[in-house]
Amino acid sequence: MYWVAGGFIFRRVNSPFHSLDPRVKLLISAELFVVSLTAYSVTQLAVVMAVMLSIAAVSKILKRVGRTLIFSAGFSVFIFVINLFASHSLLTSAVYSVRFLAIIISTSLFFITTSPDELEQVMKSAHLPRDVVFAFTTAVRFIPVLMLDAIQIVDAQKSRGLEVEKGNLIRRVRKMVPVLIPLVVNSVIRSGELAEAMESRAYGAVSRPTSLQRYSSTKRDKLVAAGSLILFIITVYIYVRFPTPL
Amino acid sequence: MIEFRDVTFVHQTGKTALRDVNLKVEKAEMLAVVGENGAGKTTLVKHVNGLLKPTKGTVLVDGEDTTTKSTAELSRKVGIAFQNPDHQLFSESVEAETTFAMKNFGFSRELIDQRLNWALQFFGLEEYRNSSPLALSGGEKKRLTLACILAWDPEVVILDEPTVGQDAIQKEKLSGIIKMLRSTGKTTIIVSHDVEFIWPLQPRLVVMSQGRVVADGPADTLMRDEGLLEGARVMQPQLVELYQRLRRRPDSPFASVNDARLWITGPVVS
Amino acid sequence: MGIATLPDIQRWKGLGSSMGEILRVQNLSFRYPEAAKFAVRDFELTIKGGEIVILAGPSGCGKSTLLRAVNGLIPHMYTGEYLGSVSVGDHKVSEARMSELAQTVGLLFQNPENQIFMFSVERDIAFGLENLAVPPDEMRTRVDEAMRQLGITDLAQRAPHELSDGQKQRVALAGVIVMRPRLIILDEPTSLLDPKTAVELVELVRRLRDETGITFLIVEHRLELLVRIADRLVVMSEGRKVLDGGPEGVLADESAAAYGISIPPISRLRNQLKRDGLPLENGFGPDDLAEELNMEALGR
Repeated sequence: MYWVAGGFIFRRVNSPFHSLDPRVKLLISAELFVVSLTAYSVTQLAVVMAVMLSIAAVSKILKRVGRTLIFSAGFSVFIFVINLFASHSLLTSAVYSVRFLAIIISTSLFFITTSPDELEQVMKSAHLPRDVVFAFTTAVRFIPVLMLDAIQIVDAQKSRGLEVEKGNLIRRVRKMVPVLIPLVVNSVIRSGELAEAMESRAYGAVSRPTSLQRYSSTKRDKLVAAGSLILFIITVYIYVRFPTPL
Repeated sequence: MIEFRDVTFVHQTGKTALRDVNLKVEKAEMLAVVGENGAGKTTLVKHVNGLLKPTKGTVLVDGEDTTTKSTAELSRKVGIAFQNPDHQLFSESVEAETTFAMKNFGFSRELIDQRLNWALQFFGLEEYRNSSPLALSGGEKKRLTLACILAWDPEVVILDEPTVGQDAIQKEKLSGIIKMLRSTGKTTIIVSHDVEFIWPLQPRLVVMSQGRVVADGPADTLMRDEGLLEGARVMQPQLVELYQRLRRRPDSPFASVNDARLWITGPVVS
Repeated sequence: MGIATLPDIQRWKGLGSSMGEILRVQNLSFRYPEAAKFAVRDFELTIKGGEIVILAGPSGCGKSTLLRAVNGLIPHMYTGEYLGSVSVGDHKVSEARMSELAQTVGLLFQNPENQIFMFSVERDIAFGLENLAVPPDEMRTRVDEAMRQLGITDLAQRAPHELSDGQKQRVALAGVIVMRPRLIILDEPTSLLDPKTAVELVELVRRLRDETGITFLIVEHRLELLVRIADRLVVMSEGRKVLDGGPEGVLADESAAAYGISIPPISRLRNQLKRDGLPLENGFGPDDLAEELNMEALGR
């Protein structure tokens, strides 16, 4: 729960990275993702991690990224152990487990610094169908609402004697029924009300709706994007041209 | 029966919802907790069945500290009817819904049947015994949630905003149910901002504002204190307001307020 | 430029009170598919521009169905057996498109949460305008105007889950008023609010009507809070209209209580005193009654 909240939910912050055009942020995240995925030596990974952590520092989100690292550490260790059995090499296993962490951080960087509004903007500029974009943004908007619903449902059922902690696995799954059904039912009711509200405010009246906010990229955005592309190409080149030992 | 000792509660978000609350509720008392939305009323009652544990201070139910027991254990004695029926109805039938809690508490088969029959009959839901709870109307759902709580016969019954969205007829019925609870010796706590509903019941009134208990006394007395109500953003019952207005002028008809009734005598009454 | 011109605004402001009928419901009957009974039966209602009309009735009397028949969800979104006609402004509801109706009649649903789609207040307010492809500059003006009217300009950038119930409701109302409708329907707007916040909302509605001339149709149980601003009170029971008139008169009517509506305590007292022979005028509120009783006492 907290892992998700810490690492992937947006919070408004004033920083040079946050204020970049979201498409540029996506580009940078994607580049870091690819670079992490294809890194194969500890040095390479160390450099990539250092870069990402400095971006995080500049964006004032170091603490949250740090927390994500800690929560992902468990799974990372698991990967390490599995690989140890498979490859019997400490170094390879280390690479795999650190690579996992790097991938997580690269995606996390994007989501922490990009508001749902900007996400919508990115999706629109990718020319995704309007209904898809709307369904996505509405879903994101209602996440906090659903979380609150879930808490209230659990409270109500606990007050009727439901013991959520006790019991073996099968029992515990059965116990989720009194929580899941109201959650689903509420969501269905909510969707119905949303549909009515949408209709009443002329959703779907025109095929190309206008937008209150206009987004355009600044010179800075373009420079940063270009700069990152150059770095990306250089890095890939180095990977390929100068394969370093582990 | 219920005791709050210097209770302070701070949310995870950092917001202090209850401050230095001291409150004692005796067995069979009827209490109404009033205050604006956000004053801490619901937070207060959630401490009684252990859904929330105090950040500072102690909450005792029947002499036992709530931090030593789970909500499920405390619920055996303390039943809370929450505002939204859609947050709890889930069973395939009204019968299954009503017996859910009793099964959780481990009641015997005979006792469950007995209480089930009583509850369905009392709340007029017998005809829906085998129907799906989700197919009922809004008013019926509300009755069902009450039936589910009263079925296991808790000593303490807490109603959280029971009149929200209810029409006049439903409120009448609710009033009757609360009076029944009082007469059968249950400790009743009603959280509400509907003063017109509360006043005729003449409960002990606890006024909350910004996490504190700012007044605690008979409804009759407290409802006349305009300053108090203003400060807590609570409305005065209309008849009490009328009484205050009439009392302002020395030559006005003699008026008194007693037992939730307004008595007007003197020159006016023919 | 796309900015609304002064004559536009003036014309819109004057629309309500200077025009005649805003709403005409004639012999409306509606039955949902699969339902045995008609939810609304032979309903007649005429509302003039600038009026504030309260619609009361017990749960299940057909209020929700009626509202949806007025704003067009019935028959455009919900089909069924539909008899009679509803006209709003210049449009016949069953024939006009939802996009046209959305600019004439706005509906504020009971739960403001489920009417706010966007992540920021001002974007949500603009939702309807975006759907109508209004140019961004004009949108900006209208959104700012709506926020000013509702007193929520400082909430422009906030996210909906950070708002209180009262604030959410204002945001939802702003999203409706920004469409510049001539009639706004409010479905039990005070049900989630505490009494003081409810009174604030009620005063807000009155102010909006006074400033813009918009007509309001409000469905409510809590009559004691709303009658102070109402021009008319309509009572509905089992799908039919049973009472329609000035609020004092309707509340004084002996059959009113029998229809299951909440008669405010002061009104009940008034009725009682009148039955006992006191020559009281109609009116509301403890202040009025106290005045009258005092005058009576002095007079004797």
